[in-house]
Amino acid sequence: MAGLELKALHKSYGEVEVIKGVDLSVTHGEFVVFVGPSGCGKSTLLRMIAGLEDITGGELWIADKLCNAVEPRDRGIAMVFQNYALYPHMTVYDNVGFGLKLAKTPRDVRDQKIREAAKILQMEHLLERKPSQLSGGQRQRVAIGRAIVRQPEVFLFDEPLSNLDAALRVDMRMELAKLHQDLGATMVYVTHDQVEAMTLADKIVVLNGGVVQQVGAPIELYQRPANLFVAGFIGSPKMNFIGVTVESVVADTITVAGKDLATMAIPADGTGIKPGDTVTLGIRPHDLLNRAGTIVGEVMLVERLGNETNISLKLPSGTSWLVVLDGDHDLKPGGSVDLTFDPARAIIFGSDGVARHPR
Amino acid sequence: MAVMTETGTASAVPLPAMKRRSPYPGWFFLPAAIIYGVLFLLPTVASLYFSLTRWNLFSSTFIGFDNFAQFLREPFLIKGLVNTVIYAVVTSGLKVVLGLLLAVLLTSQIAARGYLRSVVFFPVLVSTVGVGITFTVLMHPTQGMINEGLALLGIKGPGWLVDPNLALFSVALVDVWKGVGLATVIYIAGIVAIPKDYYEAARIDGATSFQNFLYITLPLCRPATVTVIILSFIGGLRTFDLIWAMTRGGPGFASDTVASVIYKQYQAGFYGLSTAGNVVLFILIAVLVVPLTMLLNRREGHE
Amino acid sequence: MSFVRRYWLGAVAILASGVVFLVPFAFIILTTFKDQKQSALRDFSWPDGNHLWSNILEVVTTRNWMLLTAFINSTILTVASVTLLVIFAAMVGFVLQRRKTRFNGLIEFLILAGLMIPPAVVPTIWLLQGIGLFGKLHGMILIEVAYGLPFSIILYRAFIATIPRELDEAAIIDGARPFDVFFRVILPLLWPVTVTNIVVQSVAVFNDFTNPLYYLPGNANATVQLTLYNFQSQFQTSYNLLFTNIALITIPPLLVFLFFNRQIVAGMTAGAVKG
Repeated sequence: MAGLELKALHKSYGEVEVIKGVDLSVTHGEFVVFVGPSGCGKSTLLRMIAGLEDITGGELWIADKLCNAVEPRDRGIAMVFQNYALYPHMTVYDNVGFGLKLAKTPRDVRDQKIREAAKILQMEHLLERKPSQLSGGQRQRVAIGRAIVRQPEVFLFDEPLSNLDAALRVDMRMELAKLHQDLGATMVYVTHDQVEAMTLADKIVVLNGGVVQQVGAPIELYQRPANLFVAGFIGSPKMNFIGVTVESVVADTITVAGKDLATMAIPADGTGIKPGDTVTLGIRPHDLLNRAGTIVGEVMLVERLGNETNISLKLPSGTSWLVVLDGDHDLKPGGSVDLTFDPARAIIFGSDGVARHPR
Repeated sequence: MAVMTETGTASAVPLPAMKRRSPYPGWFFLPAAIIYGVLFLLPTVASLYFSLTRWNLFSSTFIGFDNFAQFLREPFLIKGLVNTVIYAVVTSGLKVVLGLLLAVLLTSQIAARGYLRSVVFFPVLVSTVGVGITFTVLMHPTQGMINEGLALLGIKGPGWLVDPNLALFSVALVDVWKGVGLATVIYIAGIVAIPKDYYEAARIDGATSFQNFLYITLPLCRPATVTVIILSFIGGLRTFDLIWAMTRGGPGFASDTVASVIYKQYQAGFYGLSTAGNVVLFILIAVLVVPLTMLLNRREGHE
Repeated sequence: MSFVRRYWLGAVAILASGVVFLVPFAFIILTTFKDQKQSALRDFSWPDGNHLWSNILEVVTTRNWMLLTAFINSTILTVASVTLLVIFAAMVGFVLQRRKTRFNGLIEFLILAGLMIPPAVVPTIWLLQGIGLFGKLHGMILIEVAYGLPFSIILYRAFIATIPRELDEAAIIDGARPFDVFFRVILPLLWPVTVTNIVVQSVAVFNDFTNPLYYLPGNANATVQLTLYNFQSQFQTSYNLLFTNIALITIPPLLVFLFFNRQIVAGMTAGAVKG
């Protein structure tokens, strides 16, 4: 059964198109995370699913029901907002029970559901308080409780942890993961924090400029990014890039060289690429090795953390790279360093920005 | 029919955009719009027509701009027009100056601040008619308390409300007495909003308290000044109840304003002329207040 | 500012404010205690004996208890018009702030116009007669609502801008219909500005003289301000009664002032600055 299905979803404000045709299929029980830089349309997409934004084109199916023109309350969704959006004049009990009250649920059923949700979230002792008397983490719990009592087909989260401090964020992240396990419901989660995305998601959707860049499991996105954007966005610190020239193309191996790089043969799909083309080579900071080899750069800045060493490197072409080496290395700014890498770890991107992973 | 089959087939692939109901329904405007539209806007629009007529509520004869011509011809009507502008300028000017001074005083470390603020503000809430009647008694040339008090100091008080040259200004003074509290309170809000940093920086630069006032308080509470000017200027142009309670526009027509003329013409049954007075007041406000607002706000933008 | 100078300035300010602002009120109060003969002197003197009660009795019973009728009328007028004002203005302020349409500019223009343009009185009378509301208390109530709307809407709109829109959205997702969103979520949160609105508009309506003078002729419907105005000629020689009347109709604003000073000041400055 499809939990959620988006077909060529479009959204425009007058002339401006913000969602440019999104297709996505989410099976029941999946945890899907939308990530992307601010303004990429991830929140708009979530709000379209919620029914808070009109859909300009395409179809939205929730639990096999076409929902384009369905009111939010009838879509089988619940939403947790970034600022929690608790009703300040109601107690926690009334906040959680407001939706049930509007749906004219009998008082005893309502009471039972509220207490059940409070138990799941361990906030039974908070029920009589007003939101202003709660801490950030507690407010977050109430907001989630308000979603749980609706027993929705799909939970929607709009950057729910971004207002919490770092330590609490880690705790709540784990609790959300546990909640997902316990409830087994479909969850759609918007964040700009890729750690949240990597740790929570069954499936990540990377968005940029209103277009889906890639959909896949977190580790797949890390290891096999579909294009330059995803490669640069997923993974921290960011992937390093340099422009290189193709010397020869043999099936599944492209030999490249450049100002910053001695000749190297990289496993990649060479279809449509011919010698003389300019392509981009990407390599993650952690994949660089401190051995004499193919890259020489000037050390600009060194951060010695003990277990690893971060180096800001300036390549001959002027490109800046970040290198993370295992263990401690006593390097001085101004000196030079020799590096190499495992060719299988590098990724070649064509001039169109699309990754050429080996077939 | 054609449309129906078309949408029927179309829904299979590219669904037409369907609008849900807005959570902010337009009908929320309705009660207010009806009341405001019928009882305020409609008469305002109607006044544009009726001001061009000779009118007795049952029948109206179109007479073109005769009413307006009369307004510019009859000395007592012109007097009302001139008085209105004088009154507005005097009251708003005094309210700005006194309001600012009082506000500076009442935001300083003065003793009994709360009491003083209350005392200055309370007259704002008192019935205008009551204030008017009280001051009419107090301003009586021979038996009024004000002149009796002045006599104790050896000053011969003027005939506040009976001297044709003074009556309008006397009423304006009472208006200031009653309204300066609002100006003060607006200025206090403006002054309190000025960050303390500026004064501290100025103190390090060695500014005197007068320089503080001139170079920090005065320019930075400019929005309050704009508000006080506009508010009291409009109020001054529209003023009626105080004048009516104190002088009825007298002696003679010495303290008539457009608003009191409107009422007098209405009482006399000259409805067309009265309505023309309304339109004249409307035009007067538009002609004076709109450019004034633009001028004040533009200067603000330059700073 | 030095300690001595501060208190010196304070003393002068208290004295000056006393003379300018308190003496008129003291004069009113002293006169209410005097008999007719002494009050005719119109001086600032201590009353010979206490005639307050007989003065009140006479003022209230004059012209067949007219002042009492007037108090009832004014109360009905104030309560009804302020109630309608609060609800209707909050509804407009809510939708006007939340929903951006091409009509917003026009609506805002009409609101500003309402703050500036003097009402066209005779056409309004003509219109009220046409719909049978002239000289009727309920017609007067609607007039006060119409004239008070712009100010109240501006107050509400400014306050609603501080309530996060996510709250509306949470309610919508919880299944609230527009009516519920407004009356169960937004309106309760508007309470502080509603108090301000109630206080400021009550004082304005209660003290309104001009509009009842035009639209509410006749003794049956007289408001307290009209009554005072009418008594002015009747009590021309009985200053004790005239000032007793003034004192009596100053009591409601005084009570409001004592209990809601803060809200009035907040409301008047907020409305003025935002407007």
